[in-house]
Amino acid sequence: MLLKDRIKERIIVLDGATGTELQKKGMPAGVCPEVWCLNNPDIISDVHAGYRDAGSDIVYTATFGANPVKMSQYGAYDVVEINRELTLLARRAVGADVLLAGDICSTGRFVRPFGDLDFEDAVDAYKEQVKGLLEGGVDLFVIETMMDIQEARAVLIAIKELTDKFTIVTMTYEKNGRTLNGTDPVTALITLQSLGADAVGCNCSTGPEEMVGLIETMKPWATVPLVAKPNAGMPELVDGKTLFDMEADTFASFGAEFVSKGVNLIGGCCGTTPEHIRSLKEKIAGSRPVSPMRDSISALSSARASVVLEGARTLSIVGERINPTGKKALQQELLEGRMSLVRTMAKEQENRGASLLDVNMGMPGIDEKETMLNAIGNLSVASDLPLVIDSSNIDVIEAALRLYPGRALINSISGEREKIARLLPVAAKYGAMFILLPLADGDIPETAEKRKKIIEDVFKKAAALGFTKSDIVIDGLVMAASSNFKAPMETLKTIEWSSNVFGANTIVGLSNVSFGMPERKWLNASFLAMVVSKGLTMAIANPGVEELMNTKMAGDVLAGRDRDASRYISHFSQMPPKVKQEEAPSHKTSEDKVFQAILEGNREDIEQLLSGAMDSGMGAQKIVDEIMIPSITEVGDLFDRREYFLPQLIASAETMKKGIAFLEPWLGDDKLEKKQKGLIIIATVKGDVHDIGKNIVALMLRNHGFEVVDLGKDVSAEIIIQEALNLKPSVIGLSALMTTTMINMKEVIELAERKSLDCKFMVGGAVVTKAYAKSISAHYAKDGVEAVRVVEKLIP
Amino acid sequence: MRSVPNLVQIFSSINISLPVDAVYRRLGYKRGITKVDEREKEKIERHIEYAASLVSLKGAGLRVPLERVDPALVVLGTGTDIKSAKLAGFLKGCKETLFIGSTAGSAVMNAIRGDIEGGDMARGVVIDAVASEMADAALDWIVGFFNRLLARESARLTKGRFSAGYGDFLLENQKMMYDMLELDRIGVTINENFILMPEKSVTAVVGIHA
Repeated sequence: MLLKDRIKERIIVLDGATGTELQKKGMPAGVCPEVWCLNNPDIISDVHAGYRDAGSDIVYTATFGANPVKMSQYGAYDVVEINRELTLLARRAVGADVLLAGDICSTGRFVRPFGDLDFEDAVDAYKEQVKGLLEGGVDLFVIETMMDIQEARAVLIAIKELTDKFTIVTMTYEKNGRTLNGTDPVTALITLQSLGADAVGCNCSTGPEEMVGLIETMKPWATVPLVAKPNAGMPELVDGKTLFDMEADTFASFGAEFVSKGVNLIGGCCGTTPEHIRSLKEKIAGSRPVSPMRDSISALSSARASVVLEGARTLSIVGERINPTGKKALQQELLEGRMSLVRTMAKEQENRGASLLDVNMGMPGIDEKETMLNAIGNLSVASDLPLVIDSSNIDVIEAALRLYPGRALINSISGEREKIARLLPVAAKYGAMFILLPLADGDIPETAEKRKKIIEDVFKKAAALGFTKSDIVIDGLVMAASSNFKAPMETLKTIEWSSNVFGANTIVGLSNVSFGMPERKWLNASFLAMVVSKGLTMAIANPGVEELMNTKMAGDVLAGRDRDASRYISHFSQMPPKVKQEEAPSHKTSEDKVFQAILEGNREDIEQLLSGAMDSGMGAQKIVDEIMIPSITEVGDLFDRREYFLPQLIASAETMKKGIAFLEPWLGDDKLEKKQKGLIIIATVKGDVHDIGKNIVALMLRNHGFEVVDLGKDVSAEIIIQEALNLKPSVIGLSALMTTTMINMKEVIELAERKSLDCKFMVGGAVVTKAYAKSISAHYAKDGVEAVRVVEKLIP
Repeated sequence: MRSVPNLVQIFSSINISLPVDAVYRRLGYKRGITKVDEREKEKIERHIEYAASLVSLKGAGLRVPLERVDPALVVLGTGTDIKSAKLAGFLKGCKETLFIGSTAGSAVMNAIRGDIEGGDMARGVVIDAVASEMADAALDWIVGFFNRLLARESARLTKGRFSAGYGDFLLENQKMMYDMLELDRIGVTINENFILMPEKSVTAVVGIHA
């Protein structure tokens, strides 16, 4: 019986740990395990046979790291030969009745766009390993302990391009439920099952207690059997050794729960032994497996997130902005090979509520394929949203699907002969979803009836390649109302039929409807409301248009997709109020309000409050001296007591600064006052570029009425002293963050002595200490608040 | 045994959870003492989110064998000597070291500069703290990655890590670490004062215990 049929009948038992068993049997640290196994065939054979005897249906070959990248760390080895020999050895150990899985794991390097290993180099490297495993006669493949979804994809593609053997992929998840690279289990499942994995799951990192939850999370979305290979508990460090201390019986006691949550293949990872597997097998004997709950799923993924399109979901907005058509700045950037605008547009659309990002790189003068691959690399890192690959060029789409570390949506496949012949098989190979555009060669069908026929025809051909209705999204074919006033109604009919009769997801390119019309946003928003009522699931639009997003939110409520209106309420509660709410009457005086505004860092209202204080008859200087300075002094005290922390201190200081600037015209002899209080020169010393602390000190001093001349950062001793000789400051403040630049403070002070400059010095910065300050005859301030106090003492 | 020189491992995109608590701590927040009202808290958290959107974490790691560790001298397998009793004490008993580096990227530094010089210093200090903590957390991520690989070799990394500029492990060593880690490949430069640019870039040494 084939494995895929056996999985339907019973739970398949995998083997347990190989690495920790080899270590127990004497494999020293630091050796290449694969070479050590070849040199110690009896020991690895014992391990394999132990699992066969314990009841494993499938035993993994000891080829975990036998890929060319990993093996190169140990010297020059024939990777094909090592994989073949280890497979033959395993076969001899387990015999013909146990299935042998060719075990493949990470290269130890991250694959582009997440690391520096080229994607095609990774695929080619894994093909070497796969060839050896095939020569040795493996029955199936297992890709395991994967931390990077892109590397898992590279292995899966390598296998599928050489053989159609059953392939299991298991990722390894951290305590936070994600891979080290940030992929969650459902996202990994959606990506891998669509790319052709025959079973998906998790291994290593956690014990059974934690892993059973991962299986439960994946089960509702799985179209393939699920796999679990937990460790024997969580690792503990005892006397410098990593130990897994879960006893076999305890480990096995989780078997029933795994089965009930939907696992189909189960074994053990680090710390498990043949005893663990034997106990597990006994515990789950006779259990009936829970088959996958679905045959297909309408879902898309990026490297770190997924979007499920099924059920009564709210309308998904596909952000349309990443398209150079009509965008000169983006065109220029793409011509120069830069991607910063692409990343910014992605982030903006994500923040505005887009669920997916359309990516179109079609423009004259660039290599569209290279630019698309560059965009995919950048977007896979910059955004969590799944991508819609938008191109009329089949080669561009194929290259994009191969590199994209998730399940993409193709925009689009029409009824045109070339698209059917070439693009449909590409979409099938990479497991992509596609937008079905109801166009045929030389025909733009005007009526819904004609469109239905094309839709049915294309779907029939897609179904022959394994596609289901879940895998497609039907485009309503939006035409401009300005050129044909009946066109929008035909789109509505197409969407209604596709949603409610044909039974597929639907999409519209919304803004086409208003082409050639003024005030397009109203037509777009109105049409969106109409088409949502017909069952629309996705719209390609600009999420930055407020009217459109508000209509979407309202439409979701009225169409019953946002049932308790929680998203609607949340959306509008986050929007800034249009009109400032009337404040409750306050009994505070104008002076109190100014004091409070500085205390609270209320920059928005300070000018208005100062006007009020002046209207009540108080002079500007008096406001500064009797209200503002006491208030900012209290802020300093609060900061000292740690009741305030840095953002509050700065907000108050900036409010004070804004207030002083507002009062400036009324502070007639202000400059004279400042000079009387004292002039301070401040700088970050030569070689140092860190200046936040210095800027905070300058702000605080100014707020306390000192005149501050800020010379900036990386300032030489010569410039500081020359300025001091010119301006004759009372104090020079010096800042440095690094040990290497701190010594330049001394140089400044020594130069001042040589030039007979009569001036006091204050120093500060991360590495500067009170003792160091004393050693160079300077005064020390630990922060901006203390700097004010130090200077006030230095200038009585 | 590992027999060929290792290659620098480059991480083009490091994905971490936003270390919000660490950011608050860096800004001087003390639980139970610091009082922040809801309006202010909301504003600070918006700044934190904004900062995180600007950070682009990249990193590098390199395993280097240790020739020997004397009381005040560490001799790398590459022939490089590092004079530091503190580092030697930290690496005692190790046969190998791991050099690591990370950067928060230049976009976030531009934003900090813009805010500090352009008038929103309150936001600037928050972004600065986020970038510092995320660059630091990226080193933790790299440590986690190597610990995973090392587990298979029955090896593990030392707890904690050591950076140039601390104790007698002089900041001048930053140049040697910069060169070994090929940090130019992740967009980092170093100046004559051994300061890494963009400023939110960090390096460290970790020991490997077999």
